[in-house]
Amino acid sequence: MCIGSSCHLRGSRDVVQILERNIALNGLRDQIELKGSFCMGECKEGVCVSVDGKRFSVTPAETEAFFNREILGRLSI
Amino acid sequence: MKMHVDMAYRSLNKFGEELCGDKVVITRTDDSVIAVLADGLGSGVKANILSTLTSTIISTMLNEGATVEQAVETIVRTLPICNVRKLAYSTFSVLQIQENGEAYLVEFDNPACMFIRDGKLVELNPEYKEYSGKTVSESRFTVRPGDVIGLISDGVVYAGVGNLLNFGWSWENVAAWLTKATLKENSAPRLAVALSQAVNELYMEKPGDDSTVLIARVTPRVVVNMLAGPPKNKEDDARIVRDFMTSPGKRVVCGGTSANIVGRVLNRKVETSLQYIDPQIPPVGYIEGIDLVTEGVLTLSRTVDILKEYLSHEADAFYFHKLDDKNGAALLAKLLLESCTTLKVFIGTAINPAHQDPGLPSDLSIKLKLINELCSVMERLGKRVEKAFY
Repeated sequence: MCIGSSCHLRGSRDVVQILERNIALNGLRDQIELKGSFCMGECKEGVCVSVDGKRFSVTPAETEAFFNREILGRLSI
Repeated sequence: MKMHVDMAYRSLNKFGEELCGDKVVITRTDDSVIAVLADGLGSGVKANILSTLTSTIISTMLNEGATVEQAVETIVRTLPICNVRKLAYSTFSVLQIQENGEAYLVEFDNPACMFIRDGKLVELNPEYKEYSGKTVSESRFTVRPGDVIGLISDGVVYAGVGNLLNFGWSWENVAAWLTKATLKENSAPRLAVALSQAVNELYMEKPGDDSTVLIARVTPRVVVNMLAGPPKNKEDDARIVRDFMTSPGKRVVCGGTSANIVGRVLNRKVETSLQYIDPQIPPVGYIEGIDLVTEGVLTLSRTVDILKEYLSHEADAFYFHKLDDKNGAALLAKLLLESCTTLKVFIGTAINPAHQDPGLPSDLSIKLKLINELCSVMERLGKRVEKAFY
């Protein structure tokens, strides 16, 4: 996920914390690796998060829903 | 070997005075640095005027090539005469250190200079000369990296007099303290702040006299290369990175996009940490072979603030505690303040479209302004600055 200046101001720190908490709560630490990246060139409304190569724009408020949909969704396949 | 002299000073005003009667002027010429510490008679406005005149006259005259004799004579003849004491008087110390390590010290009635090498106080052998009826001591010696020279005004020697200490701190004790401190603190700013704080404590925060400490620390020249911002034309990416990587010294990359360019051109991985040591500063990154990789504008603007706070002369022990923090801005500020004598900036002038969003705080669009500000702060800190634009 992006921690560049622009995403930082859009709340990447909050998104990191929410994702970290959800990963821990679901006991997925050994299955999910959360990594930072400088500007990924997708400065939009939310913070740029890339999952398995697919890019999403996530705001802190949507993060939990995003996690349930995109991350847990992927794992259950 | 070419040497750099890191200078830092701190003044405490006599309790209740708005102005300090001690004055330090540091001038840097192409091949030497001249520091003058003057202590005006009395305190307050009068002392401030005397010491300002003295230090400015001396440093200007020596800088323009006049001899010490001429400078002393000028001072004796031009200083306004105090109505109360019928005297025109300001003590002074002048320290000039050449790039090749030759040092020249002139002292007039100030406490003797403290010259510390390898954790030991070294005695200087001054020659006494008489200029216009004033006895002035002159010393010539050679310095080498690691040497520390302390100049103090008499307020330091008398710290605590009649209160905590019957006869004040005394030159021997100050010298012993400073000698010991050089083993622990190795940067001029830290030494100056620590000594000044010790004096303030001995005076129980009510200095009985203006007290000034000036610390000069000799270091080898250390260049810090900083790459900030992507070049205007994409074709120049390789050129800016090549110039940056081939310049000797330490290397810092400021800016996410810049870091990605460096990573791409060098074909090295750009890793970022997700640890927010300070919630306001984005985490740092890592590229093999680069000493520090940080985010751009937010980090730079904080770094400029940290360095400005130092220049405002309000830095204390707590300041250095914050400087030792591990967030990107503090890491950069510490590197620039304490381990850098020459800053080479490789500035890319591209405008980041992501930063032109009117919804974002305006400080994102001012990268170039920030870099210029950083350069001018560094110059005020006595560092050499070279800029290259791409």
